[in-house]
Amino acid sequence: MGGKIHGMLDVGKRSLANSQTALQTVGHNIANKSTEGYSRQRVEIQSNLPIGSDGKVRVGMGAKASNITRINNPHLEKQIGKEQSNLGFLNGKMDALSRVEQVFNEQVNKGLNHFMGDFFNSMRELANNPESHATRSLVKETANYLTKDFKRVNNQLKEIQKDIDFQITTQVNEVNQMAQEVANLNEKIQMVEINGSNANDERDRRDLLVKKIGEKININHAEGKDGTVTIRAGNTGILVAGTDFKKLSVQETPESDKKGEGNVDVFYHNSDRSTPVKMTGQINGGSIGGLLEVRDQEIGGLLNDTDELAYTLATQVNEAHRFGVDGTNKFGYTFFDQPTQVRHASEQLKVNQDIMDNPARIASAAAQSSPGDNRVANFISNLQFEKVMGNGNTMDDFYNGIVGKVGVTTQRADLAQKSQSDILKNLNNIRESVSGVSLDEETTKMIEFQKGFDASARLIRTADEMFDTVLNLKRM
Amino acid sequence: MRIADKMNYDQVTSNLSKNRTDMAELQNQAATQKRVTKPSDDPLAAARVLAGRIDINSNNQFLKSVNNAKTFLEYSEQSLGELSEAISRAKELAINQSNDASANDGTRKVVATEIAQLKDQIIQVGNRKMGDRYLFGGFKTNRPPFDREGNYKGDDGEMHIIIDKDASVAMNIPGSKVFMGKSALVQAADHEMHSSPYPPGLERKDEGLQPGKPVEFRGPAGHGEPQKPLAEESNEPVNLSDSWKSGGVNVFETFKDLEIALRANDKAGVQDSLDTLDEALAQVVLARSSLGSRVATLNSASESLSKSQVDNKTLVSNLEDADTFQLVSDINKTDSTLKATLATSGKLIQPSLLDFLR
Repeated sequence: MGGKIHGMLDVGKRSLANSQTALQTVGHNIANKSTEGYSRQRVEIQSNLPIGSDGKVRVGMGAKASNITRINNPHLEKQIGKEQSNLGFLNGKMDALSRVEQVFNEQVNKGLNHFMGDFFNSMRELANNPESHATRSLVKETANYLTKDFKRVNNQLKEIQKDIDFQITTQVNEVNQMAQEVANLNEKIQMVEINGSNANDERDRRDLLVKKIGEKININHAEGKDGTVTIRAGNTGILVAGTDFKKLSVQETPESDKKGEGNVDVFYHNSDRSTPVKMTGQINGGSIGGLLEVRDQEIGGLLNDTDELAYTLATQVNEAHRFGVDGTNKFGYTFFDQPTQVRHASEQLKVNQDIMDNPARIASAAAQSSPGDNRVANFISNLQFEKVMGNGNTMDDFYNGIVGKVGVTTQRADLAQKSQSDILKNLNNIRESVSGVSLDEETTKMIEFQKGFDASARLIRTADEMFDTVLNLKRM
Repeated sequence: MRIADKMNYDQVTSNLSKNRTDMAELQNQAATQKRVTKPSDDPLAAARVLAGRIDINSNNQFLKSVNNAKTFLEYSEQSLGELSEAISRAKELAINQSNDASANDGTRKVVATEIAQLKDQIIQVGNRKMGDRYLFGGFKTNRPPFDREGNYKGDDGEMHIIIDKDASVAMNIPGSKVFMGKSALVQAADHEMHSSPYPPGLERKDEGLQPGKPVEFRGPAGHGEPQKPLAEESNEPVNLSDSWKSGGVNVFETFKDLEIALRANDKAGVQDSLDTLDEALAQVVLARSSLGSRVATLNSASESLSKSQVDNKTLVSNLEDADTFQLVSDINKTDSTLKATLATSGKLIQPSLLDFLR
């Protein structure tokens, strides 16, 4: 005789347990259907080795649940991580650029283009009526609005920089939290897997976190033999190694090459004792990298351009105005307070206070006692069409060039973001196809294992009845 | 391909969001009628729109300047018309008094008084104001250019008005030229040297372009339609070249000389003054024709500015405005796409195996 009735009971019991484990896993899958980063799990059922070897009949001893594995493609995850980091970079960039663009959007609002035109037109009006005090007040007003608009552009750009700083601070904190969680997960995974089981849910969560850190900042990561993952931000900032994690921090620092005064730098804390290392220069990816690029390269460049425009305007107008004779028959003041340097000129541009107080001090004439003389006003008004900028452009062309440049940069970032987001969508689709939960599938499995459960129960009953039969043999 | 539930949901969400975004974008275009609502929509167009707007705004100002200068010139021209009438009248009187057949000591005295009155009248013309500005004082527009004796207190300033990026027109004629005859010939020859819209001494940055170069005044022979026939002003043909050569006449002196000659019953003196009066008349006519040709210049400038204004507006509109027909067709297309997405989304998401199990 091959087997024993006891053996049958045993097989039935284990089969019952296997079905239950499988059903529980189905339940786990269904419950985590919408969990971010979740990979569906499968119970690996193996047939038990037959025991006993009387003759040729080897009776199988049922099956056992050897392990629960997650269905996941690590290479795919790594690729997604890389693309997600690229998308993060573009998201950060686009987020900031779309706001920068609004500063220069004259499709909707009036901007420097408009106010410069108004100023030169008011000078033309003064050339038409050089004797008029009302026209001088008009010139004063348009000049004042022009300086205010230079200030507006400067302020709005700096506000965006400040706001970027705020976002960087928030995101660095998020990175720190996530890095800490990864370190914790490293520990758990190590502990769970040391005795051969799989830390499926912990790994899913850790994969997700690594991708999310990569979305914020450029990282390299690799899994060691012990199952722990090491994450390095930039070139030198080891965020997570084994069960340890290090912090990043942000701090306002003085002006440095591209970075403006009062904007933040990112620091890496190797230990509590050593001084934090500045690593802003290493961050060139993820949303923080995108934000930094816009803050320092794009906005920094725009501030310089605006300063150059303001400086040139003030210098050119002043040069002519000082030459002229004003409405009170005195030689002219500087029209604008002459900026001492290009830097910060757009912020500091201001109409001379004496002119603000008394617009009669605006000069139109080239000679004294000539109230009808409009030559200086003519000269100033025609500065609009003079190629006075350093690059051989007129001031208008220079400004329009800035707007065009902002438009092109934003448009490129927008297109890149869209296509990157499509790439990622495709990859995530593939990932879901591999690792995602399908309700239909789980329902089918549920029925399958329920039936298995039923049949196993029936097997136990059969064995029980067999025992009864054997025990009742003598009564007959 | 294995389809997980999340794929379906993600696909539906992203497709719906794409359709809705397209629709919102098109709706925004329809509401603003603008194709370009921010520079990144079309950077090249956005920059060109700005350049176009500069042209539109400065052309508007140029048109204003042109009209302003035109009024000034026309008023000057009209005043010079009165001046030439007064000279003609003086000449008529002088002719009558230049022979003994129709004149004698008594009539000459009476006529002398009339000449004195005419002189006062032309001084008034010389001191004519438009608004608060004296027409004939050069740059000195704030006080009468001529005193009671006809001495000139103004200067030779010409107020140039910039009427386009690279053109200007002087809107006044200084009294020294037209009344005092300050060498019209020299003045004309040295025009470019002495008359510029810009102050001497300030350097132009841009030698090649030479913005604001003064417009050449067309001589009397070349003047256009706004010029009235010269013959109407004077019954005799005017020999312009004479006055060019003579270097100009002081109109007031001429009148004064005539008055003195009449009072002195100096027939020869009166006859002498006839020539001078002719010259004076020619001088005024020359000035008027110069003013007239400037008005003609302004008229054509105004015309071309208005025309380029239309061109600029068309350009800007082409660049930034939405094509309504295209837009409506796009909206319909997107609308039907959106509806299709909604309809199929329902079919994709709803059924599951659970619906078919009891």
